[in-house]
Amino acid sequence: MLKTFSIGGIHPSDKKISKDCKIEVLPVPSKVYISVAQHLGAPATPIVKAGDKVKAGQVIAEPAGFISAYVHSSVSGTVKAVAPRKDLAGNNVMHIEIDVEGDEWAEGIDLSEDIVTDIPEDNKVILEKIKLNGVVGLGGATFPAHVKLCPPPGKTADCLILNGAECEPYLTSDNRIMLERSKEIVIGAAIMKQVLGGCPAVIGIEENKPEAIAAMKAAVAELQASAKGYDGISVMPLKKKYPQGGEKQLIDAVMKRQVKSMGLPIDVGAVVQNVATSLAVYEAVQKNMPLITNVLTVTGDCVPMEKQHNYKFRIGMPLSYIAEYAGGVPEEAAKIISGGPMMGKAIANLDATTVKGSSSLLYLTAEQTVRGVESACIRCGKCAEACPMGLEPFLLQKYARNNMMEELEDNAVQDCIECGCCLYSCPANIPLLDIIRIAKGDVIRIIRGRGQK
Amino acid sequence: MTQTVIWTIAILVMLGVVLAVVLYIVAEKFKVEEDPRIDEVEKVLPGANCGGCGQAGCRAFAQFCVESEDMDKCFCPVGGNDVMQKVASVLGREVAEKAPMVAVVRCNGSCENRPKINEYGGHQSCRVKAALYSGDTACAYGCLGCGDCVAVCQFGAISMDPQTGLPVVDEEKCTACGACVKACPKNVIELRNKGRRNMRVFVSCVNKDKGAAARKACKAACIGCSKCAKVCPFDAITVENNLAYIDYTKCRLCKKCVAECPTGAIHAVNFPVIKPKPAAPAPAEAPKPAAPAEVEKPVTKEE
Repeated sequence: MLKTFSIGGIHPSDKKISKDCKIEVLPVPSKVYISVAQHLGAPATPIVKAGDKVKAGQVIAEPAGFISAYVHSSVSGTVKAVAPRKDLAGNNVMHIEIDVEGDEWAEGIDLSEDIVTDIPEDNKVILEKIKLNGVVGLGGATFPAHVKLCPPPGKTADCLILNGAECEPYLTSDNRIMLERSKEIVIGAAIMKQVLGGCPAVIGIEENKPEAIAAMKAAVAELQASAKGYDGISVMPLKKKYPQGGEKQLIDAVMKRQVKSMGLPIDVGAVVQNVATSLAVYEAVQKNMPLITNVLTVTGDCVPMEKQHNYKFRIGMPLSYIAEYAGGVPEEAAKIISGGPMMGKAIANLDATTVKGSSSLLYLTAEQTVRGVESACIRCGKCAEACPMGLEPFLLQKYARNNMMEELEDNAVQDCIECGCCLYSCPANIPLLDIIRIAKGDVIRIIRGRGQK
Repeated sequence: MTQTVIWTIAILVMLGVVLAVVLYIVAEKFKVEEDPRIDEVEKVLPGANCGGCGQAGCRAFAQFCVESEDMDKCFCPVGGNDVMQKVASVLGREVAEKAPMVAVVRCNGSCENRPKINEYGGHQSCRVKAALYSGDTACAYGCLGCGDCVAVCQFGAISMDPQTGLPVVDEEKCTACGACVKACPKNVIELRNKGRRNMRVFVSCVNKDKGAAARKACKAACIGCSKCAKVCPFDAITVENNLAYIDYTKCRLCKKCVAECPTGAIHAVNFPVIKPKPAAPAPAEAPKPAAPAEVEKPVTKEE
């Protein structure tokens, strides 16, 4: 019996159309626009100005706070401007515009394809490298990785969980890197495991990716046989259920431990990192390569098979450039989503550029995206059954519509992970998540404000 | 039989007396000293409990007025100067008259001026929309058109104009409580001076993009050209972040900026309609009288 998380969850379609498309490297466009807000927390402060020459891998923006991250240039060339530009939601964000000239790399970066298996012994050196190379969590939240790898005093990690669940339909980038870069991911896991004090590491992968499970198992076995420091790493196949890739759900599935309300995974001794983050950690520590590339899936039902792709992109590439390179936006596409269909964000502006956490260009047709007509709640309880956090969305939305903050807090709206299971399961087409998300923000603000007094 | 009745009455009377004494002692001991003027002030207030004064309701405002030293800080926007005079007379203080305010929608991004570039299918609420993205149009600053301001107005003073898709403020009903100002996630609505005979001049745009981008997004956008600031004889106009702002405390309603604005982003409302002189129809074709025609438009819209 395969493991999974205990409460709620749904089974959306199992489509992974582009899962067999090999990762292709996107050519560099003539211009890139690199956002300074590619991570959770304070946007980075640009340290270059118009006219500066930069090399690929050079720092162009520095963190502006504890929870913030370095941003590096993904290309070599001349900085044309540091100016606001619209991101994919259409809001103005500071971007660094670079005219590409040649392909020069900053010093100290190992561009060879050799796999380095020897892990540096000094944890401080490792953490410094992870921080300086701007590694952030690539599972969706883009939380700076070095912060997560330094547990607060008094707390220790019992288990490092690598998230290879990729529970969102359509997305296949994690699947591809697990197949093509499996060894590097395992080395990354071993590095993080060492930093966390040698706790065991579990790579959780959903059962619908048997090739990835086999590849990762083989990589672990090979590394354990040939090098030191790889003991205690295992691969755990998981039952397919959405949102398995949620941090708290994955901890429940793998460790059978539940994170308390408003708590952090480290409270129950868990650290969760995405497999893509693990790859970025490997690149940063073993190759001194900053996080300037990631893998993105171009997919959708209306995309013909030959136009389905998994691309290795550099940050700062305009999405329109990628769409064009992949064969243009399909005519049937009514909505383009960055991320998965469940939690991804609709793109309001295709001229926006890729960021560290970009994971897909998903084309959905009008039938797939249209929302049904909203009708009254029939109290069927489907949303409460589906909620993986054990909340009652029908109740929360009622409270939220009436601004009943105390009741919202009592009913733990702050624990909502915005997975969208309630919205997916509602037969009355009530925009549950839309309403609850706003209330959650309000309640969390109230709770935080209370602590400051 | 009679004895039972007498005993019952006697016991009840005794019980009554004892409890009355207990209640009296408790009431005396735990007496809450409250300024009797709070009740009096509360009676004078409109009782809308709208929170426009910044307090949690009319009683809280009454308490605030009584405790506050400075009457300038207390102002009930719903009751206005009349009510504040009454409050002041109850408290035996003097209060300075405040100029009446009104909510002003600073966006002219009607469907005609601001073409839609995408469609939003989720929950129709400005807050939800604003949390997700910048809006249906290329303007990331303007009105989102879902009517959060309409829903929050307790006085029924705001309604959505189906033609333009923008909220319209009924000046008669608006009490300037500021609820819509707080509800608008884009800060489009501002409380401004009602002005002499309700005449006002204001920049009906909040777009901070550079001129070209703003103009591309909306025909009626302020492009930050600073022409208005140069022409203003009273230094009432400042241009910051590519956006002009008219300080209503300095504006003397000369309307020079209205004529100067190349995009028609500056609105003058409630000015009397200037009838074109019947004697000289030919010079009226000159560019200058074209501006008042533009000016008059909002007048008809608001009335």
